[in-house]
Amino acid sequence: MKKNLSRIVVTIALIVLSVYFLYPTFQDYNLSKELSKLTGQDSIDFVDKNSEKLNDARDKRLKLGLDLKGGMYVVMDVDIVKLLEDMSDKKDDMLVSVLAEVKEASKDNDEIILETFKTKLSEKGLNLKTYYGEVRDTEADVEARLNSEIDNALDRAVEIVRNRVDQYGVAEPQIQKIGNSRIIVELPGVSNPEEVRKLLEGTALLEFKLIYDPQAVVRVMESINKIMTGDTSSVSDTTVSLNNNDSLSSGNESITKTDTSNINSAANKDSLKDTKSVTDLKSAGKDSVTKKDNSSKKEADTVNNTDTAVTESDTAADETDTSEAQLSEEEFREKYPFFTMVSLNQESGMADGYVKESDKDKIDRLLKREDIKTVIPSDMQFAWSKKTFESEGEKIYVLYAVKKDAELTGKVVVDARANIDPTSNTPVVTMEMDSEGASDWSRITGANINKRIAIVLDNVVYSAPVVRSKISGGSSQIEGMADVPEAKLLEIVLKAGALPAPVKIIEERSIGPSLGEDSIRSGILSSIAALILVALFMVFYYRLGGAVADVAVIINMLFIFGIMASLKATLTLPGIAGLILTIGMSVDTNVLIFERIREEISLGKPMKTAIELGYKKAFSAIIDSHITGLITGIILYQFGTGPIQGFALTLIFGLLANLFTGIVITHYIIEMFIEKGKKVSFG
Amino acid sequence: MRIFENTNYDFVGKRTGYYLASAAIIIIGFIILFTTKSIPLGIDFSGGTEIQLQFEKDIDISELRTAMDEAGFAGMEIKTMGTERDVLLRTPMQGEGLLVAERIEDGIKQKISDNKFEVMRTDKVGPKIGEELRRNALFAIIFSLIAILIYMAFRFQFIFAVAAVIALFHDVMVTIACIAIANFIFPGLRLEFNQSMLAAFLTLVGFSSNDTVVTFDRIRENIKLFKNENTVSVMNKSINDTLSRTVITSGIVFLTVLVLFIFGGEVNRSFAFTFGIGIIVGTYSSIWIASAIVTEWKLKEVKSLKKKSAGIRTAGIKKA
Repeated sequence: MKKNLSRIVVTIALIVLSVYFLYPTFQDYNLSKELSKLTGQDSIDFVDKNSEKLNDARDKRLKLGLDLKGGMYVVMDVDIVKLLEDMSDKKDDMLVSVLAEVKEASKDNDEIILETFKTKLSEKGLNLKTYYGEVRDTEADVEARLNSEIDNALDRAVEIVRNRVDQYGVAEPQIQKIGNSRIIVELPGVSNPEEVRKLLEGTALLEFKLIYDPQAVVRVMESINKIMTGDTSSVSDTTVSLNNNDSLSSGNESITKTDTSNINSAANKDSLKDTKSVTDLKSAGKDSVTKKDNSSKKEADTVNNTDTAVTESDTAADETDTSEAQLSEEEFREKYPFFTMVSLNQESGMADGYVKESDKDKIDRLLKREDIKTVIPSDMQFAWSKKTFESEGEKIYVLYAVKKDAELTGKVVVDARANIDPTSNTPVVTMEMDSEGASDWSRITGANINKRIAIVLDNVVYSAPVVRSKISGGSSQIEGMADVPEAKLLEIVLKAGALPAPVKIIEERSIGPSLGEDSIRSGILSSIAALILVALFMVFYYRLGGAVADVAVIINMLFIFGIMASLKATLTLPGIAGLILTIGMSVDTNVLIFERIREEISLGKPMKTAIELGYKKAFSAIIDSHITGLITGIILYQFGTGPIQGFALTLIFGLLANLFTGIVITHYIIEMFIEKGKKVSFG
Repeated sequence: MRIFENTNYDFVGKRTGYYLASAAIIIIGFIILFTTKSIPLGIDFSGGTEIQLQFEKDIDISELRTAMDEAGFAGMEIKTMGTERDVLLRTPMQGEGLLVAERIEDGIKQKISDNKFEVMRTDKVGPKIGEELRRNALFAIIFSLIAILIYMAFRFQFIFAVAAVIALFHDVMVTIACIAIANFIFPGLRLEFNQSMLAAFLTLVGFSSNDTVVTFDRIRENIKLFKNENTVSVMNKSINDTLSRTVITSGIVFLTVLVLFIFGGEVNRSFAFTFGIGIIVGTYSSIWIASAIVTEWKLKEVKSLKKKSAGIRTAGIKKA
């Protein structure tokens, strides 16, 4: 009985857990049903009101693959041959012709491109060193370097694609490297191939953009707020003063001065650290851009310690501040709807907005509204940060206002490298520009000392460092990254400008959702019909045993879906095939046991003994067939791709759940009937 | 109610006929497969462009074909799907982006103006990917067969493992042959080798190995129980013992798949057909291939043992 008690507890706990993991799926289904009833403004309001719930349910629901839900599956090829051409020190006709041959050859085989390249070169009596090496390099050195460059190019392409897909707002995209020159992008629920192509193809755009004057940004935000509250009277006022932007900044000279002096003093306070890095670099003949990253509150706080707050009696920031103290939260929400979503850190002297992830979509929609667009100056543009930080359990994005026109594009970047600065032991990124870029950069940095320049890739801000000094010579150092991966990411982003590896879509499939829905519906309907038939047959043939087996199969399916949902796995058509196999084996497990029990009964054994022996004797067959299946599943998952993995995944979960339900749960239920003195029959 | 209780059929006594039957199906199927290419590779595995259209009204295929011929797609495959309004077009031609699909659309629009259509689906596949996927699938299956071999050799005897793997191989071959033959006889079935057929093959291998293991389990048990009986009768006894289980399990799963085949729609058809054949073949092979091979081996073992022991005996007679 004690053994039974633990069985009951485990069983119930597992069932509760499965239901818990499947609840978001149910919730998501209900919410989308409600949403589909609404139209126009109603549906927008509904999304706004329930965005947290919706996102949560969507994130945690049982995910359906592209085949069941429809969408797009895109395979992209990174042009390694082009990369090899760009990297070469001397581009002669021979190299061009060899690379053309490599390109042709790589179309029909899957050989690693660098290997093909090596073979083709050696046919001509050349080697990699001829084109990529320096005098002291060995051939192996060159090869290793090229290999790592190719790897980097792939990482870069993945980052660019991920950045674009994230911006597009696709739920559950899957982006992965495959082979040595490909990326697979899966976008469920997307049905417009034109849009996807536009989104994914084309060269990435890396730009350096000045951060917009904070005072002006605050004014724009205030105007947006006024439009949102419907207070139109003062809007035109603000618009005028903002349109006249130049006079505003020169007119408010005091603000600019305070601003500058404050940051100057900050720079002075920082000077110790600053000189250190500058001296270091000077020995290497470099100047520095020191990054003061404002994308985390912690860092913003350090900024506060150094920068004395910009005090402006007449700016919105201050007004907001005082209001905040006096107004209740609700009143504040009503009066300052914009600043409820976009909070500013007034003490930082910067106009970066902090926005919760759940409000991000709303802000995006808001900034696209025609009436709001009128108050945004034509040379101003809002851009989101790449990096987020956590606050009160939610991701916070930074909303930057940048100058629309880029100061410089990433084409001038020749190289970028993430390093650990030996003196401060912190991660830094050094960036090299070509001579043309260097002279522009020198002019730009010279004119914007103590201002911030955003590093923007495809409209996402990866970093917004403060310019510490005029940087001539083309070498810059960016510091202030939290960790090495962050520095590495910035290196990747900067290199996107330096070595653009073009990506090309080589395969794309759109699965029309209507077509999918049709076949899914008929598939589900016929499967349910078949399952009911099976269930009825089991009860008819094995009586009570059959009914218990049916319960076991239902619990089994609950477990499988529960596990899938908890692991955020995706259910696909081959996955359903795995499910069918599992259900087949689940039925088989019960049939095996019941047949054994019947055999024992026909040998004249009493019911209780027959049941025990039946379970005992059937065990070896069940365990061997399940382990065989599990081994197969694990290997298929390990070595297979896409569809095969989907099959393997449900098979693995299914067989595990099956072993438990088939051996433990049914046995327990039948025992319970026996103990209670009920008549048990196996037909 | 009970079925097949206490049966006593002679399953493995006459084995040769079944070997020949299997071999015949495989040979005929593969001859058809190689001569008529009757299992078309789905867009998953071959390069090309596939486009599915739905017309407002029934469309005359020959009219559509003429239109396509003039648009530069001579000899294109054009098939209706289910109704006379749904059409599947396929060409090995490929182009940048959706160029081929656009050309097809334009071609139809020019010639057939009175029947509007909607593009339901467009698939474009590069052949290289197909190859990669195929190779991956093949490796995955080969590795899993090796793993099954090792596990079964460990849990049973080596010959059981070999027999099981041969049976799985046999199942795949016979099923391929059956699909080729079915496509040849009923071209309307249009079973192509795509991802769902691949899934069906994985499922049938899983199902068949399950069935074989269950049968072998009983043989393993009975070999220990009936040490003195001859091989053929132990084998027959084991198969008869598991017969009702085999029939019920396979029957149930087969019926499920049959329902899916009939009512599951076009997309599920190739899965249902393949797995359905697989269930029959997998069940058959557990008895007449896997168990039969084990029987064959055991009989040889007994023979060679007898020979050896005979040798020992003659050697023992000589006295110095």
